[in-house]
Amino acid sequence: MFSNHIGKDLSAYCHGELSPAASQGVAEHLIGCQRCRVEFEQIKLGVKFAEQLPQLSAPNSLWNEVQGLINSREVSARAVSIEKSSWASLFQPQFAAIAATLLLAAGLGGYWFYARESRPFWQVARLNGAPRIGATVMNEKGRLAIGEWLETDGASRAKIDVGTIGQVEIDPNTRVRLLQTGATEHRLELAQGKMSAHIWAPPRLFFVDTPSAVAADLGCAYTLEVNKEGGSLLRVTSGWVALQLKNRESMVPAGAACETRSGIGPGTPYFEDASEPARLALAEFDFKPDDASGSKTRALEVVLREARPRDTLTLWHMLSRVEGKDRARVCDRMIELAPPPYGVTRDGVLQLNEQMLQLWKDSLETVWRDNLPSPTKKTLTRIWTSGLGRIRGLQGKR
Amino acid sequence: MEPRAVMAEPIIDERVIEACRQGDREAFGLLFEAYKDRVFSIAVYSFNGDEAAAGDVAQQIFLKLMTTIGQFRGDSAFTTWLYRLVVNACIDERRRRRRFLPFGESVAASRIEDRRPQEKNYARAEMADAVKAAIGELRPKLRLPILLKYIEGLSYEEIAIVLGCSTGTVGSRLNRGHKALAGRLAHLRGQVSE
Repeated sequence: MFSNHIGKDLSAYCHGELSPAASQGVAEHLIGCQRCRVEFEQIKLGVKFAEQLPQLSAPNSLWNEVQGLINSREVSARAVSIEKSSWASLFQPQFAAIAATLLLAAGLGGYWFYARESRPFWQVARLNGAPRIGATVMNEKGRLAIGEWLETDGASRAKIDVGTIGQVEIDPNTRVRLLQTGATEHRLELAQGKMSAHIWAPPRLFFVDTPSAVAADLGCAYTLEVNKEGGSLLRVTSGWVALQLKNRESMVPAGAACETRSGIGPGTPYFEDASEPARLALAEFDFKPDDASGSKTRALEVVLREARPRDTLTLWHMLSRVEGKDRARVCDRMIELAPPPYGVTRDGVLQLNEQMLQLWKDSLETVWRDNLPSPTKKTLTRIWTSGLGRIRGLQGKR
Repeated sequence: MEPRAVMAEPIIDERVIEACRQGDREAFGLLFEAYKDRVFSIAVYSFNGDEAAAGDVAQQIFLKLMTTIGQFRGDSAFTTWLYRLVVNACIDERRRRRRFLPFGESVAASRIEDRRPQEKNYARAEMADAVKAAIGELRPKLRLPILLKYIEGLSYEEIAIVLGCSTGTVGSRLNRGHKALAGRLAHLRGQVSE
């Protein structure tokens, strides 16, 4: 009767992996088979122990480490692809002897090469006037080594090749210093003046330190201007830039701008076509000291009143920068302008649930990307109102 | 982007995976967030609790994931494809390290014992530590199905795809793994709830 013991199916039985018929067969067998019952108790105990196995948390540093690996790999791949063809020819059999000789020569010259490469630099080209690297007025071309300052006066401009990942143009009356250049990070300090960056690297490989924030490139083109007080203005023309200072971060997409102030950090990003009253009110909200007169509350009211769907960029950032009733007002205005996606609740947003905020941001990005130039927009609007809207009988409806 | 339901982790749908295939770093960030803890857990248990080794292999796994995600054709579920990557990486790394670490040497079981999570329920923490140590002592062949079942919650069929074996083999290995755990932790029998 019990020649076919069911020991091999016991784990599957515990996990509900058997068909109903097979499961019933195991259950019936267990009632009558002492041997399988003992084995079943053992498996059941093992299952209970295994269920105590906790899921561990990955260290916070893991993402940075992974990003570092990816960045270095991409940079290396780019370098390899440039040199691949010439290297490949060296491995042809007829070049074996030459290659061996070259290898020997390379070995002998290794120390020289290492010493040379251990002093990283960026190539600089003069565009106008007489830019200086350190105390030296540069010729048509120059090298900016780590720690060196590049300065332009009122009549000079320069262009920097940022390794293989992009270019930076330095406007007149500007001071920049190279802080770091390597496979995983390129970092420039902009002490004063204006620069325009065009970077085609993976995100967070190129950084610019200013006195009031760090601009992290997320694959983009932008201009960054630092005034004498250390405040800055970022204007993004393509992609995204993140402005950071300690725990405060502003994500600035194409078409938007963001100001920073010493001691405060990045303000709230806004689209440059936002209304004048909204922009003035936002500056007051971000940088004026809080006082008893309620000026910040009034500024917030203006920002909310003037907001268009696209300005949810500003409102989204404000959510975590206001509290209590003000946060509720910002949230409610956002809901009016661009309702949140499924799964994002008002309560969750008011409690700054990170995942909900991220989900809402994800859904808003399509609104923020609505970056058609005004003439095109006007044309499309005219087509809609004059023709298509009338045909559908929807003109004037939203 | 279409509405998505909120869960404890980012939802990884076809669009996120497609964006990753296009090299979208933000999408890859979502993927990382969704799977980092599970990948890291499997790596830690695969390396007998050696978190440094697990960190290294987790880095390699995510790097490989990013560089090879273009090869994912959707023939199987993404999770099974990912866990095949994880399992293979853990096996390769173990094989590589075996040259330097004598077989059976369990650096880690002791490390696991040493790390006392600050949980209120001390007995529960002690139990978790004991289970971790016992899992660390299992042979990889028995350990991996248990990790895929209890950390990732894969079905037998999915585990079979990941490990490249039959569902019957999965059941058999889980049986042996369960019995081994029951034997090694028999002294804690009274602490698991009935």
